[in-house]
Amino acid sequence: MRQGASTRLRRDGIVLAAVSILYLAISAFVTNSYYQLILTLVPIWAVFGASWNILSGYGGQLSFGHASFFGIGAYTVTLALVYWNLTPWLGIPLGMLMGAIAAVIIGTPTFRLRGHYFALSMLAYPLAILYLLQYLGFQEMSLPMHRDHPIAYLEFTDQRLYTLVATLLLVAGILACMFVENSRFGLALLAIRQNELAAEAAGINARQWKMRALITSGIIAAAAGGLYACVLLVVTPDSVFGLLVSAQPVVVTLFGGVASVWGPVIGAAILVPLAESLNAQLGNIVPGIQGVVYGAAIIVIILAAPDGLYWTIRDRWLRGAMPALPPPLPAAAVPTRTYSEVTSMPLLQVGNLSRSFGGLRAVSQVSFAIQPREILGIIGPNGAGKTTLFNVLNGVLAADEGSALLAGEQMLGRKVYQVCRMGVGRTFQVVRSFPRLPLLDNVVVGAYGAGLPDRAAVAAAEHALHQVGMLQLATRQAGQLTNKQLRLMELARALAGQPRLLLLDETLAGLGRDECDEVLDVLATLRDEGMTIAIIEHTMHAMMRLADRFVVLDHGAVLATGLPRDVVEDRAVIEAYLGKKFLARQNA
Amino acid sequence: MTQTTAIGRRTALGMTLASGIAHRVRAQTPSEVKIAMLVPLSGPWARSGILEKLGGEMAIDDVNAAGGIKSMGGAKLRLMSFDTQDSAEKSKDSAQRMLSQEPDLVGGFGCWLSSFTLAVTEVTERAELPWLTLSYSDLITGRGYKYVFQTAPTADAQAKQLLPAIVDLAHKTTGKRPAKVALLADNTAANISFLKEVREHTLKDLGLSAVYDQMYTPPIADATTLVQPIRSARPDFCIMLSSNVPDDKLLLDKFAEFGLAGGKLPLIGGGGHIGAPELLKVTGADILQGLMAGLANWPGHDQDKLAQRFVERTKEPWFGHDSLFAYVHVLIFKEALERAGVADRHKVAQAIRELDMRNGPALFFPGHHLKFDDKGRRVDAVLAMIQWQNGKPVAIYPQEIAVASAIWPKMA
Repeated sequence: MRQGASTRLRRDGIVLAAVSILYLAISAFVTNSYYQLILTLVPIWAVFGASWNILSGYGGQLSFGHASFFGIGAYTVTLALVYWNLTPWLGIPLGMLMGAIAAVIIGTPTFRLRGHYFALSMLAYPLAILYLLQYLGFQEMSLPMHRDHPIAYLEFTDQRLYTLVATLLLVAGILACMFVENSRFGLALLAIRQNELAAEAAGINARQWKMRALITSGIIAAAAGGLYACVLLVVTPDSVFGLLVSAQPVVVTLFGGVASVWGPVIGAAILVPLAESLNAQLGNIVPGIQGVVYGAAIIVIILAAPDGLYWTIRDRWLRGAMPALPPPLPAAAVPTRTYSEVTSMPLLQVGNLSRSFGGLRAVSQVSFAIQPREILGIIGPNGAGKTTLFNVLNGVLAADEGSALLAGEQMLGRKVYQVCRMGVGRTFQVVRSFPRLPLLDNVVVGAYGAGLPDRAAVAAAEHALHQVGMLQLATRQAGQLTNKQLRLMELARALAGQPRLLLLDETLAGLGRDECDEVLDVLATLRDEGMTIAIIEHTMHAMMRLADRFVVLDHGAVLATGLPRDVVEDRAVIEAYLGKKFLARQNA
Repeated sequence: MTQTTAIGRRTALGMTLASGIAHRVRAQTPSEVKIAMLVPLSGPWARSGILEKLGGEMAIDDVNAAGGIKSMGGAKLRLMSFDTQDSAEKSKDSAQRMLSQEPDLVGGFGCWLSSFTLAVTEVTERAELPWLTLSYSDLITGRGYKYVFQTAPTADAQAKQLLPAIVDLAHKTTGKRPAKVALLADNTAANISFLKEVREHTLKDLGLSAVYDQMYTPPIADATTLVQPIRSARPDFCIMLSSNVPDDKLLLDKFAEFGLAGGKLPLIGGGGHIGAPELLKVTGADILQGLMAGLANWPGHDQDKLAQRFVERTKEPWFGHDSLFAYVHVLIFKEALERAGVADRHKVAQAIRELDMRNGPALFFPGHHLKFDDKGRRVDAVLAMIQWQNGKPVAIYPQEIAVASAIWPKMA
């Protein structure tokens, strides 16, 4: 569990208990079977929304085809009941298993795609299944009625019992979401949503976490679909695999609040009764008009609250009322990762490293070494290949040739998160933060990425914050931090993974002179404490102060290496930076 | 087509409002019996639902004008109409709403599309509300339900009857039996199961050979590759089972282009959409001439006067399949209420189960027999056939309802 999770869990748990008890109490007094049906549908769609929220809300993997899992749940329950006379009490768990299997089958090829391509290919699955079922002759499946022992077959004459079962399912679904949100699972998903590459560089195995999210999501969606079939009594491919079914969880979640446990619940609690009462009131007068009014209502509310109602209300009215988290205690015992002692040989030995993009040799036959406890400045004009060099070193790009040995171990040919776990931390030119999460959670991601268990991860994150001098800000939301603090936050995130080598990409970019000095002091202290650092930087005066040695790159190749003083007087370096004319004028 | 729909809806709307006003006056009299009608009034199937509604409303007015339910002291019938919208789950919601808003219903009818009817009858059966439907699917009355009555011949029964009926018709018209058939159908479920039966048994039983047998996935983009080989194969007649008006149009235009339309090659479609006025608008009388279709029922010569009144009243071009069924359903409820003598849904259901009539509403069906079996299916329900003749679909089969003889070109 994450820092502060127990407080959050207790608070959310009380709200959940109160809301569900109140809801059941209200439903107990509703005898009108139509209103009772609406009360049953609200939790079902809320559960479906919650399942979508795990993959697409927290994980940012937009799915327009969640009906796949919903429909698989519904059809498993129906077919098992029709052909094997299997009660839905067991059919729903079987459907959840099928949902998990479907998630693996769908996820394996589809996670190769990203962004819009992923979203659109997800859309294809339910449509394909829809036609397959029509072809197989399952277009109208009715759940057989059991006149004896109806309750054993999840058939109730009293509609209120359907609402009870649906509400219990919702409670289970929300508890699952609360667990996800408050564990490393949720944080890993948030990190992936923010920037998949940065998340991998922080040691997170993105593909594995995305797959876990899809499986969890598929299981929950299938449970919702299975219960829906029992309420619907007749299952058609369109009613469980149709486009509108896929749209439903997207709409309720976007409306209620993305990446929040309560979002889908709020969305379903408002939209489902709204749609139904429009049907009942307007639909009887002018058939079809209810769809227009419903659409217009959604547009208006989404324009007014683009993040969803939950976040808008929280950001606008409840900011002051949010309970402040207790300030963290000073880190008691920081578990440190132990690395084999490197003394005689350099920590990083790069030899003849090359990488081309078509005809452009972005990195060409680059060789250098970094000694332990050294700060190596990598400088060069724009387009010299500095960032590409880092990308090749930490596995974002594959090398065409060459080697890179970290304490004698080959770094090349590994995945990004694997390189991170060898003890290489990395920061990026553009800071990626989770604005709504506290600073500490932003940093803990790095510790999770390194594979530390919960308690140790928090301790490591606090220690990292202490190293960069921001421990007192640990509970502040990242959205309220200054640019310098964000830079330091990113540095802390890399440090939380307890690396032995830091690759820093323009950490000082956009900082004023005083801010720059503060960051430089932090870096110098880190080196004194034993850290080894390679830093890309443009600000010459800062590099002169900081770096022990320079490597100068130009057109992808090493132009010069050596002590800062020697390098800046090197004619070739001056020419590369300032041009031949400048040199000629100097000589004249 | 859009315009007709708009007028149809406006008329329907006007009628709803008018009947609402009328209701306020009538509500003073205590003896009023409510019957529900739940049909698609919005969404892609709205046109059929509106046609049902027009037939149902006319029947209600006719019954009330003739003195209402006599055994109940002249109690008037009142039609409560509800919209299924465009999906099975919304239909089911509507059924639930219908039952909770109108607890004193004695029965209901409608749904039109089989999947809607399946969903709705799951609710009405549990409420023990007698329900009449024109939907074809065998599943509807295959669930052992006690309160669902299917007045149309089921899909399986129609499929079994279609080819023999055609052969019979050709023989009677031309004196020769056709030998070669072309089969063209979209791959919707009803057609798949229909053609399976045809390929395995019916062809052999009738001594037919299929010179062309092709299925396609709807909707069609271009019908050339489907129709061109039919011309080369030279069948005696062609079964053309599409499931919507746009595909009908593309196929018929292509048949016309190859010189096969207008009755030159006997074309037999399936389903109520072949008799829809919209088809005339998008294709034309000359292309439709001779096109036949098998369906559950069609107004015959017994209903000439009724049909004329319907056209005058609704401004629809003719009285067809959907309106006819709705009209008969109201009459069946009227009969059941007369026999039950009380507005009680269980007694009405029992009265429907006990019906065995050869007059009154029975006259609206070929065979003139109204009786339901244990499953709730109408006994002796037979397939009817219509044919487009001079811009209008007319009943040509069976003999009891035929108003014209079939056009069938001479066979080689």
